Amino acid sequence: MLPRGFQDLLPERAARLRHVETQLLAVFARWGFHPVVPPSLEYLDVLTAAGGRGLQAQMFKFADPLGGQLLAVRPDFTPQVARIAATRLREWPKPLRLCYAGPVVRDVEVHAARPREIFQAGCELIGLELPEADAEMIAIVLEALRGLGLQGFTIDIGQVEFLRGAFEELPLPPDARRLAEQAVMKKDRSALEELAATLDLTRAQRALLVSLPGLYGGPEVLDRARQLAGNPRSRAAVDNLEQVVRILEIYGLEGALTLDLGELRGFDYYTGIIFEGFVSGAGAALCGGGRYDRLLERYGPPSPATGFALDLERLLDALERQGALQPFAGSDVLIINLRPGKEEALSLARQLRAQGFAVARDIIKRSVQESIEYAARWRIPRVLVLGLEGVPEDEVVLFHTGEQGQRRVRLADIFREAEAWRRSGGGEGRWPTSS
Amino acid sequence: MPERQAERLTVALPKGRTLGETVALFRRGGMDLSEAIREESRRLAIDLKREGLRFIIVRPQDIPTYVEYGAADLGVVGKDVLLEQERDVYEPLDLKIGACRIVVAEPEARVGRQATHLRVATKYPRITERYFAGKGQQVEVIKLYGSIELAPLTGLADRIVDLVDTGATLREHGLVEVEEIARATARLIANRASLKTKYARISAIVEALRRAVNGEETGR
Repeated sequence: MLPRGFQDLLPERAARLRHVETQLLAVFARWGFHPVVPPSLEYLDVLTAAGGRGLQAQMFKFADPLGGQLLAVRPDFTPQVARIAATRLREWPKPLRLCYAGPVVRDVEVHAARPREIFQAGCELIGLELPEADAEMIAIVLEALRGLGLQGFTIDIGQVEFLRGAFEELPLPPDARRLAEQAVMKKDRSALEELAATLDLTRAQRALLVSLPGLYGGPEVLDRARQLAGNPRSRAAVDNLEQVVRILEIYGLEGALTLDLGELRGFDYYTGIIFEGFVSGAGAALCGGGRYDRLLERYGPPSPATGFALDLERLLDALERQGALQPFAGSDVLIINLRPGKEEALSLARQLRAQGFAVARDIIKRSVQESIEYAARWRIPRVLVLGLEGVPEDEVVLFHTGEQGQRRVRLADIFREAEAWRRSGGGEGRWPTSS
Repeated sequence: MPERQAERLTVALPKGRTLGETVALFRRGGMDLSEAIREESRRLAIDLKREGLRFIIVRPQDIPTYVEYGAADLGVVGKDVLLEQERDVYEPLDLKIGACRIVVAEPEARVGRQATHLRVATKYPRITERYFAGKGQQVEVIKLYGSIELAPLTGLADRIVDLVDTGATLREHGLVEVEEIARATARLIANRASLKTKYARISAIVEALRRAVNGEETGR
């Protein structure tokens, strides 16, 4: 038994997770990002400095057996990377392009298969405040998702300053503001209409309040938002969002975007552009990110920053649903040795491995038939038998699992034969090789 | 924008007392499943092929689950269920049907009496805890699945928190309403990812239903 919300990933799922993670890290590297590996634990204060009561309540906390200070398991990589950037890497020239992959742990309420351990991969771009930096984050996510073969996804972009400006502009008492924020988060226009009726608002203020949940869709949202909100803070947010969209148009990515100025979700440390990735058929976001210009100053010198994290298991689920993943593939070949000495078998295995093949040895004493069944279960497509009765010393017998018959191959010809084994697509049953 | 028009949308409707009103509202919004329901009243899934819609009919309490996980794109459910379950879904429209209220009630004989430690029986433990915590009052919540009115009569609880329509059931059991916690009507709810990936179609449905709620007919 495992604690609720935690799971073992068995070979098929684990291989797929590693495949996706490797692919993502390769994309990050092509954009110039360097991996960092922060520890799984931090002092609680470091993580709480990032703010956000929601996330704090979700942390797994305990006392350090050495000294009794409070520690927590990381619920989010971004505060850790911000700490690293503001302390250990503070003298390094900006921008810093850092990436990571690994699990985070959150004590979310467990219902209907919601995990408490979440495998993430993400990037943080530190030291740049221009919209091009935010656009780069979104472009990386889009390239990564496309590269994995995912279809029908959209990146939904918002700007938290728009709503903050709008709520400054509207004369709402504290209680009404809290209600209004909740209603906007839920896109509950009816509640805002009810609320507006109880408040003394101008026509323009009323129009702004009840329109907030509807400010989502295509680029036309930008103009609607400009007409509704007159305050400089919201205006600046719309301009900023438009600049990011323009840069993504230069990347040729506008077709995968939706805009939503009524979003205020994600981490409390977000200060500007925020975005989430959605795929049709998946209930929740596959990734989330945003700008956090005030986080580094909690650990060291202030610096603007932006970043994102992908949820690898949600991504895997979406890829599996779309049939975009290769079926599980075992090793390339299983070698069975019936000869008294092991020299030839081990040498053959070593040489095949040196050529890049995945080679497993049987080792157990059992019938050849049983070994072939074993190979079939583990999706190993071929079995080589050395020392079968009646077969000359310089020959081996090759079985194809799942097929009838067998073939004798001269040992000297095995490597030429093996060239045909090279996979075209490459399965995910083992770590992807350079092919 | 990444919209695939051919994709079917799934709408979860609540079994039970509000189904008839819900179906009538969808018909006025140009989505007529009343005939399909009449033909085979026990069917749990109804396809409107031309409109690209599938309706599933499930227990009201399960609707937020279907929608939160994306098994349904849209759903219709009472605000009482939403307040109790606090799921991460959008609530774009008040359908203004199935109106009722969530109230605190107690035996007539007890009204006005002070108690330091109240026991409250309810189907809505979260709403109840939140409400009394908001008033700074410590209560012990007893979760029941039905016939809440019996709890004070049998001495199980001092008060109840329950849904009332006309208040007749409360009176029959010698209970009086002492506070109103919330008013509840049926809401249209939407999955977050669906709203983002299929926003044009979903917006069109929301608007058609909004017109229907406001008494305007939509022809298709």
